[in-house]
Amino acid sequence: MSLIVQAHGHLIIFVKKMNDVIAKSKDITLLEILDRALEKGIVISGDVVISVADVDLVYLGLKVLLSSVETMENLRGAPIEGAMQEPT
Amino acid sequence: MKIYIYGIIDFNDNLNNSIKGLGDRYVYNIPYQDIGVVVSNLPEQVLGKIDSDYVIEHEKVLESLMEGFSVLPMRFLTVFDTKENLISMVRYYYNDFKNNLDRLYGKVELGVKVIWPGESIRENIINLYAGNSQKIRISGNSQAMDYVTDKFQEYKTDKAFEEEANSRIKDIDRFFNNFVVEKRLEKLKSQNLLLNASYLVEKEKQEDFKEAFEHLRNVPGNFKYLLSGPWPPYNFVLLSKKSHTFNNLDKTDIFDRILNTKT
Amino acid sequence: MSLNKIVETDSPANFIEEMEKAQSILPEKIDANPKNVEKGLAKLVLTLVELIRKLLEKQAMRRVDANSLSDEEVERIGETLMKLENKMKELKGVFGLKDEELNLNLGPLGDLM
Repeated sequence: MSLIVQAHGHLIIFVKKMNDVIAKSKDITLLEILDRALEKGIVISGDVVISVADVDLVYLGLKVLLSSVETMENLRGAPIEGAMQEPT
Repeated sequence: MKIYIYGIIDFNDNLNNSIKGLGDRYVYNIPYQDIGVVVSNLPEQVLGKIDSDYVIEHEKVLESLMEGFSVLPMRFLTVFDTKENLISMVRYYYNDFKNNLDRLYGKVELGVKVIWPGESIRENIINLYAGNSQKIRISGNSQAMDYVTDKFQEYKTDKAFEEEANSRIKDIDRFFNNFVVEKRLEKLKSQNLLLNASYLVEKEKQEDFKEAFEHLRNVPGNFKYLLSGPWPPYNFVLLSKKSHTFNNLDKTDIFDRILNTKT
Repeated sequence: MSLNKIVETDSPANFIEEMEKAQSILPEKIDANPKNVEKGLAKLVLTLVELIRKLLEKQAMRRVDANSLSDEEVERIGETLMKLENKMKELKGVFGLKDEELNLNLGPLGDLM
């Protein structure tokens, strides 16, 4: 069994549950949209994928992206425009 | 300036500035043979402000497209650096796209979710087994045997729980069978979320489907139901070709801009 | 928002709650920072070991269910599984990892745990 980690570009990806995004919305329609648009549809981009014997086991989807923005906003206490630092 | 992709359509002509997308930019069609890629130009400053509102914009574009075309929705935030790379992607997937566009023509996706009292159902099963003493025969009390007994009890409980779920899901699914071309059923996404179903339905059969949902809803009991749609066929696009990293597929840059990461 | 979507339900709050719960626990931060690389790798490895352990456990239970094991075999399996589980607990402790952190989202296959 071979373990292959394919990293696309930079590896520092700040991960958090999408709960925060959903909790803020409290909107069932938005939730239904997110349920589809964030992970389904045509997926062609190079996420971080971990493959075992050529079977993709896990990927970090775009949930990561939205979550990270929200989290960053929370941590900084302000909406973000432009570049920001990842907290250490 | 990046190129943001909304989806693929069965149309290779202009959209004539009829739809607006992310960052208030007009959406336009990039033709490739007999299909087209629907995109808009994405200014850099928009990338820094991506939030859930943009997902709504993304969905709005798809909704407009659905009225006139067969659409294969792109996952949110698929962005390309150059038109050349985008075209090479379409070239790579052309056959897949074409097949899907044909197969999904005239159909929409409808979502059905069902909540059931999973926790109490599990409790009932546990009590059933505890009372019934479904113990394996134990010869020589030992820690190992106790361990197996516990694990076995867990196993039997899980099994019974799943069987109950499967049976209920079958009952629910039966309501829609006549109006459905394809389906994706996600069982027990969480203990209480019994079913997360996506159904591919012909446009003309939508009303029948909704009626069936009303019948389902009226079944006596304490289940909760949700219907949503019509959606572009997010759950029904099948790509036969393996994922392929295209040059300059712009994931990295997006992360960079938003996270300003340093390696 | 002016989307023409119908979302019909008597209990939107329940569904919001359940979908929040159901959101998969995403894998840990994959960090290129050297001091954390070790922990990241440990998580990956332990997650896979946990996957195998659970598969073994399930397979064993199926055989117990089918009554296809002798008493001695059940005893031996019990011991082995017990040791495996204890070892995993130990390793998790060494790396400071919690059960939830070893979860994997297997895409269309759902979550590992």
